[in-house]
Amino acid sequence: MSRRRSLHLAAGLLLVAVVVGGVLLSYLWLPFAPDDTSGGRLAPPGGDHLLGTDKLGRDLFTQLLIGGRIAIGTALGAVTVGGVLGVSFGLVAGFATRWLDDAAAVLLDILIAFPTLLLAMLIVAGAGASLATAVIAIGLAMAAVVARLTRVLVKQILARDYITAARVAGISWPRIVVSHVLPNIAPTVSVNLALQAGLAVLAEASLSYLGLGTPPPNASWGRMLYEAQATVLVAPVAALAPGIALVALVIGVNLTADGLRDFTDPRRSR
Amino acid sequence: MIRYLLRRTAILLVSLSAAAVVLFVLLRLLPGDPANALLPVGATAEQIEAARRELGTDAPLLSQFFSWLGDVVTFDLGKSLVSTLPVGDEIAARLPVTVPLTLAAFTLAVLIAVPVGVLAAARADRWYGPVINAVAQLGIAVPAFWVGLLLITVFALNLQVLPAGGFPPGGWSDPGAAIEALVLPVVTVALVMSASLIRYVRSATLDVLGADYLRTARALGASSSQAMWRHGLRNAAVPVIAVLAMELATTFLGAVVVESVFALPGLGGMLVRGISQHDYPVIQGIMLVSTATVLVVGFLGDLAQRLVDPRLLHRSTS
Amino acid sequence: MNRRAVIRTLAAVTALSLTGGLAACGSDDDSGASAADSSSAIIQVGSVYEPQNLDNTAGGGQGVTEALNGNVYEGLFTLTDTGAVEPLLAKDQKVSDDGLTYTFTLQPNVKFHSGAALTSKDVKASVERVTAENSKSARKSNLAVIKSIDTPDDATVVFTLSSRSISFVYNLSYIWISNAAATDLTTTADGTGPYKFGEWKRGSTLSLTKFDGYWGTAAKNAGVVFHYFTDATALNNALLTNAVDIVTSEQSPDALAQFSGNASYKVNDGKGTTKLLLAFNDKVAPFDKVAVRQAVSQAIDDKKLLTSIWGEYGTEIGSMVPPTDPWYEDLTSVNAYNVENAKKLLTDAGFPNGFTFSLDTPSYDPHPTAATFIKSELAKVGITVNINTITADEWYTKVYQKRDFAATLQEHVNDRDVVWYGNPDFYWGYNNTQVTDLVNKAEQATTTDEQTSLLKQANKIIAEEAASDWLYLYPQIVVASSKLTGYPVNGLNAQFFAYGIVKS
Repeated sequence: MSRRRSLHLAAGLLLVAVVVGGVLLSYLWLPFAPDDTSGGRLAPPGGDHLLGTDKLGRDLFTQLLIGGRIAIGTALGAVTVGGVLGVSFGLVAGFATRWLDDAAAVLLDILIAFPTLLLAMLIVAGAGASLATAVIAIGLAMAAVVARLTRVLVKQILARDYITAARVAGISWPRIVVSHVLPNIAPTVSVNLALQAGLAVLAEASLSYLGLGTPPPNASWGRMLYEAQATVLVAPVAALAPGIALVALVIGVNLTADGLRDFTDPRRSR
Repeated sequence: MIRYLLRRTAILLVSLSAAAVVLFVLLRLLPGDPANALLPVGATAEQIEAARRELGTDAPLLSQFFSWLGDVVTFDLGKSLVSTLPVGDEIAARLPVTVPLTLAAFTLAVLIAVPVGVLAAARADRWYGPVINAVAQLGIAVPAFWVGLLLITVFALNLQVLPAGGFPPGGWSDPGAAIEALVLPVVTVALVMSASLIRYVRSATLDVLGADYLRTARALGASSSQAMWRHGLRNAAVPVIAVLAMELATTFLGAVVVESVFALPGLGGMLVRGISQHDYPVIQGIMLVSTATVLVVGFLGDLAQRLVDPRLLHRSTS
Repeated sequence: MNRRAVIRTLAAVTALSLTGGLAACGSDDDSGASAADSSSAIIQVGSVYEPQNLDNTAGGGQGVTEALNGNVYEGLFTLTDTGAVEPLLAKDQKVSDDGLTYTFTLQPNVKFHSGAALTSKDVKASVERVTAENSKSARKSNLAVIKSIDTPDDATVVFTLSSRSISFVYNLSYIWISNAAATDLTTTADGTGPYKFGEWKRGSTLSLTKFDGYWGTAAKNAGVVFHYFTDATALNNALLTNAVDIVTSEQSPDALAQFSGNASYKVNDGKGTTKLLLAFNDKVAPFDKVAVRQAVSQAIDDKKLLTSIWGEYGTEIGSMVPPTDPWYEDLTSVNAYNVENAKKLLTDAGFPNGFTFSLDTPSYDPHPTAATFIKSELAKVGITVNINTITADEWYTKVYQKRDFAATLQEHVNDRDVVWYGNPDFYWGYNNTQVTDLVNKAEQATTTDEQTSLLKQANKIIAEEAASDWLYLYPQIVVASSKLTGYPVNGLNAQFFAYGIVKS
């Protein structure tokens, strides 16, 4: 079993590395300028244009690489927002007792009851469609899930004997948090964040597909899929390439998270 | 159990009211005055004032909230700013698409995921264990709208056996056509849903398979599959039910996006339109209905979990 | 066939009766196979323009015109598919010599769908609905010339104008005559047309059924169902799978290959009136300078943009006037594509290194694509474009009402709308007293020849001054099953007269 987990990790990291590599490459070199419209309308794949061109004559491979920036940016941005807010709130809620604890639990339940995409749509409705809006919205929705997880983990750890021992020994709460609580919850929370990162990429693609995410001319993969939909019978590659890139990244992230769990959850590593 | 029920009901009611507050505050925090949408070109100051009076956006926030809450309790969700028609009526008219779509997709997803997930766990050593696992991984990573596009291309455009989208004008008065219209959307949502469900079912089953009582049962002579069905499933069901309640909510969301792909006149299309037109009463109404649904389903899920798991039943409060 | 039978049986067993049998119009999706007699056929129409509500004075939008104009509602006059204004409910008209008094006699025996007879009071009430304080009708300002409306008897209406208005009769073709006694026109309708309103399922379909008591030539089919889609792909799929018989207006050229090479379909390239504009805020720097506007117009290759978006379809235009307007002139050579000259103009205007502006772009197609193209074209002359994507509602508030913009993209759908350049208070703020004068004089002209010549002059001036950049004229492509005949192909002002359609 353990060998298979390592295999997951390796495959996952490889997929992520390919996408991240492409994104890094895009900052150094692009086959064409992003707004170079010299390619001709819907040129077929091959020749100068590896994946062909879009309606405006822009190189699709260039667009795909730039779309990777948005995908990776969304994942990192949303995980940062969700992680920082979620862990902070979860820590506080984990220490809460009695009615305050109930209140925190109820609040988290409500926030989770606003599903990610709906919450994101709501925020987009007010703030207007943009990448930043989408990332913040997805991050906020993620924060609720992370907070709930953190709260449960913190409660479990606080019930352990060594915490009581530490308290008795007169160690202050902040030190306990830093030296006992955080290190203990970190593995599980990071695995969860990795899984959430995959979901964030999907959520951004869905928003962009619905026209509520990254606005043009930036080529989000979701937006590219939407545009390619109209020309699917004429230019099928345009509809396949962004989809495959999206799936590869999400699978990569998920497999990595799976593999990491092996190291963090000894029970599973049997 | 009674004590638990009372406590859980109280929490549900508190959650519902809190959700109403959160929703109200969130929408009021958003920039822009909804009154703008009501005004003709070059509106005068008096007209703006009149429009705000008409919408009640000139009143103090607290009194706006209570009048809104009063309306909500009596199932009055206000009027759309764009169409000037009652939001509640339109939601009611669209439920016959979204509700059957969600329930059917959810049922299908469970029907696929439970046997496949159990099989993947019970036969993890055979070749199909890893294969199922890999397919599920793929399923989780694929966006629902892409699956929809693929199914449309194959079944509607190439094979021409099912409609590519839309809903019959007569709605459910023509059940055959209505069901045909829902087949591809249901399959789309169900496929995507079942992928993540399979993983939950598989991991829950794996946990149970490793448990001591199952090994004991087998040692006592029960065959592997007997032990599996008698003891394993019931115990595996507990975490799965908790997940199911959440998944039902996710299914609803999946339906929102997929409705757009299939041009179905459900709540999803209405919400997307409401957002792109900044039609606040529409957004507020749909969000309220969907949040309330999610909370109630969560409530029912918790109750079901209690009923299935005897251990939780005795531990009356957690 | 077998598959359907199985599914239907299954349906009969399992289906929950979720709607209470609302189908008053009893339309059947399977009309194709069973329609032996063509007059009993229901025409299935596909469109992307769903109405917001059913009242064209309360912001019903383009969709309500498409579905109801001429079909359910009729005006005193009608604008035919070829662009001619012809009398409809007005049987007879008399104009006083000073051009200030119009007397119309109504057609006899006209009945509303609810059963009431049409009287002059209904006409008066209908016009007043359009000119009312809270009316959102785009035609409201055109009718401001009406001083009074009198109804000496049930069959006669007299309009008194405050000044001559040569477009008055044309403007009347936009006014629906509805039953003055009707209380709710936003969710239901009561007109005099060949169809009565059936049912509107929001987000899905709107059905019309043939009105047996119609005063004129009866519709050649038994009814129409409009099917609404939110994007062009779903619409094309519906046509490909025979879910609809006809598409009122194709939104993308890429699907057309599937139809034009197929004997089962007919692709009609009609004449449209919709123009895509890059509208400058002519009052605010830098676009208050004529040279800057000319430079931007010359820096953008309209032909290439048109080809990118519409392939081989669509028309280049040099000004606001589409070829169907009587005062059309080919002005494509004015401010034509010329990058070198654009650079020179910019230098002369004091922007040798270009400048940066924000382009307010409606979020729906084709605006984002056009904005992307414009950004890349203007980069070549040193101008940086920041694309600011906004919703239709934001456009209305920010650009149209508050004039808070530098430049914007917008489609203008109407014919004869060059006159907006004579109104300095319009959103683009173009203020040229000469043009204002010409437009006002044209409206007060006594003959159409005089009107035409004056508007031609005005048109030439705005084209030379690049009041806006008119990017291209949309094609008007109607794709229909080859079983259909008698449908309109030009879609002027988004009208779609369905009564002549025959399905064989």
